Amino acid sequence: MARFEVPEVDYTRYSNRQLAAIPLVVLAVALLVIGGAYATTGAPVDPGLDFTGGTELRVAVDAPSDAQAREDIRVAFTATPDSIQRVGTSDVYIVTFQTEGSETAQNEFTRQLESEAGEAGFDVRSIEGVGAAFGSETQNRALIGVVAAFAGMAALVFALFRTFVPSVAVVVSAFSDIIIPVALMNVLGIELTLGTVAALLMLIGYSVDSDILLNNSVLRRSGDFYESTYRAMRTGVTMTLTSIAAMAVMAVVASFFGIGLLASIGTILVFGLIADLMNTYLLNVSLLRWYKYEGVAR
Amino acid sequence: MSAWETAKDNWRVVLLVFMLVLSSLFLFAPAFEPSGSEGPAAQETATNLQYGLELSGGSRIRAPLVGVTAEAVQFEGGDTAEVEREVAAELESGDSSDVIARFSTNTSGTVELVSENATQADLRNALDAAGYEYETVRDGVTDETRQQTIEVLESKINAAGLSGGTVRTIGDGDFVLIEVPNDDLSEVRDLVNSRGTVQIAAYHRVQRNNTTEYVNTTVIRQEDFQTVGTAQQGGQGTGPHVPVSVQQSEAERVQRLFVETGVAGQGGTECTYSDDPQSTDPCILIIRDGSVVSSFGMNPSLAQSMRNGEWAQDPQFILVTGSFERAQQVSVDLRAGALPAGLALDEGTATAISAAQGEDFKRDSVIIGLLAVLTVAGVVFFRYGDPKVAAPMVVTAFSEVVVLLGFAAFIQYPLDLSVIAGFIAVIGTGVDDLVIIADEVMAEGDVNSRRVFQSRFRKAFWVVGAAAATTIVAMSPLASPWLSLGDLQGFAIFTILGVLVGVLVTRPAYGDILRALLTDR
Repeated sequence: MARFEVPEVDYTRYSNRQLAAIPLVVLAVALLVIGGAYATTGAPVDPGLDFTGGTELRVAVDAPSDAQAREDIRVAFTATPDSIQRVGTSDVYIVTFQTEGSETAQNEFTRQLESEAGEAGFDVRSIEGVGAAFGSETQNRALIGVVAAFAGMAALVFALFRTFVPSVAVVVSAFSDIIIPVALMNVLGIELTLGTVAALLMLIGYSVDSDILLNNSVLRRSGDFYESTYRAMRTGVTMTLTSIAAMAVMAVVASFFGIGLLASIGTILVFGLIADLMNTYLLNVSLLRWYKYEGVAR
Repeated sequence: MSAWETAKDNWRVVLLVFMLVLSSLFLFAPAFEPSGSEGPAAQETATNLQYGLELSGGSRIRAPLVGVTAEAVQFEGGDTAEVEREVAAELESGDSSDVIARFSTNTSGTVELVSENATQADLRNALDAAGYEYETVRDGVTDETRQQTIEVLESKINAAGLSGGTVRTIGDGDFVLIEVPNDDLSEVRDLVNSRGTVQIAAYHRVQRNNTTEYVNTTVIRQEDFQTVGTAQQGGQGTGPHVPVSVQQSEAERVQRLFVETGVAGQGGTECTYSDDPQSTDPCILIIRDGSVVSSFGMNPSLAQSMRNGEWAQDPQFILVTGSFERAQQVSVDLRAGALPAGLALDEGTATAISAAQGEDFKRDSVIIGLLAVLTVAGVVFFRYGDPKVAAPMVVTAFSEVVVLLGFAAFIQYPLDLSVIAGFIAVIGTGVDDLVIIADEVMAEGDVNSRRVFQSRFRKAFWVVGAAAATTIVAMSPLASPWLSLGDLQGFAIFTILGVLVGVLVTRPAYGDILRALLTDR
């Protein structure tokens, strides 16, 4: 039976500076991307319908071709759709409208879209309208949630290890694990939704697993530093790859089916877990090695 | 080793099997079927699982209540009706149904302004002008008003025949969440959007400054009704209508007002309000949320019995509505009562999902879940190449989901897409921890003694426990009702539950299984 082994990395060939440089540069670039987005748009990441308010319709359109269906949709509504997305290869389309800046009240707007869809002969499969005020309220709460979750995680990590440098290593890695996906969202044009917020929270819990494993192996177990690191790495890489595989499948299949919630959770977790591989085995390892050989000696 | 000792030795496996059996019972045994047709999903299914709105279809409306509240208002000995009237008199609308006063101590209480677009400044100005002292004014309504509103919404939904609907508060209590199995969003919205204050007024002429003009005089308020019948198609003559009766205590007053305004005129009245409101006999108007729903006159015999005072002995009559639909609306409003405070729909969300879409979501999420499990199984088999290690790993991870499904069926938690996402997350974290256990146990050569196994397992479990704790901490803000506003609560709750089941039951059991397979006694 085919099997893979996690390759052993010869860490002795690289200095701590060299190891830490790559993840720190990536983190800096990610922060720049987010800062740039914030400077130009006033938001660290493009907020989606859940946070800006707007209406999303899922309609079945009876048309001979994809192009014709899209044309039918554009003609049917007086408002200009923000996006039209086909669900897989079916005749169902997800049409979104942003109410940003519009003076029409959300309630009335949704009602109008609903009746226009009906008049055009579309089969309305689902409709979701979010008021702008509700959206910004949700955004505030989501932000508080992410901050609270991160603070809770950091406090727990410090309580578990009770040493400064190793704990900081975990917290910095986890921070980078959520910053990099957010920057990637900006680059790839993925909007912030409730699903992506859930995924970011999930990442906070998920991504520290491999860091905890590494710290535990190096600090609490007997044996040489490199031996301990390799042992933790074999396990850690296996479990992160398993999760990446599962989440990638979920992201691909869910976007095919047009289930935005599951697709965005999957996508963000894939980004975050890949970032975690880099952060754990470059950044965290270098900080731990410095602590083990130099920090303790001082 | 006897059977008993084997079981005792592997008690973790026994516990897992017990949990699995229990879960299967909750899932499939008819005894645990959801009672009655409660909940938005009242359909026959193969399992006892309850499906939420997204998977079964229906409408969901979530909105805050409209209103501002003044706290610690000194009532100065007046009763609440008096306070309401005096404050309302200082408002532009002057409508006392927009003001709610409640005692919270013997001499003071809260005053709420619940009209649409009410601002804190409006209430401050009205209270100042009416001469009432107060401490603070804030957005939102009181708990009592919210509770009453929820009760009225529930009875409206029931009166409209939308059985299986639920109404509850979410967030920190300011939001109301309504879920009904009907996927016609407009219909549901219309039902809950109107406050449904119904009053019966007399439309009649008065002399004022030497000119004659028509005015409305309120005769019967919503709370004056004793009984309200269901909408009737009615025969010739009256047409669609709602039979009602007035409370005995109010009957004399109602009778007097009808006579004084001339509605109960000699020989009855002929109403031509809809065609020519400026030259009609006095009319009876049904006014719903400030607009006239229908107008009608009074027949001679009823007018006669009011004129000679007989009517007050048996104070009933019929509300003529013109159309059956309006009769139903008026009947629902009168029976359910008016909403104390309206819903600010523009500040909330409205969702409708058709039953067909719900079926699609259900099918698609099962496919996604199965594919995720297969992927995990594939990677694990590929990594270890040893079915003895990998097979129990996949089975254990899957059994976590079965236990969770059983739990969901037991507490009748409605499954939604976010719960499905939670299940998939549980499979992910579950396998992670099993990998930690397997690697740790098999590290550094063969496991040939139970003592070595135990010590390695314990070491592995420290990491598993720490990892579980961080996941729970990270997810708990989302699980708290205050933060999630309901949408992702299911995801967070089931992820946390999954982690707990994993740490307490399934992952230790995997350790036992692995030990049995790897140690040679």
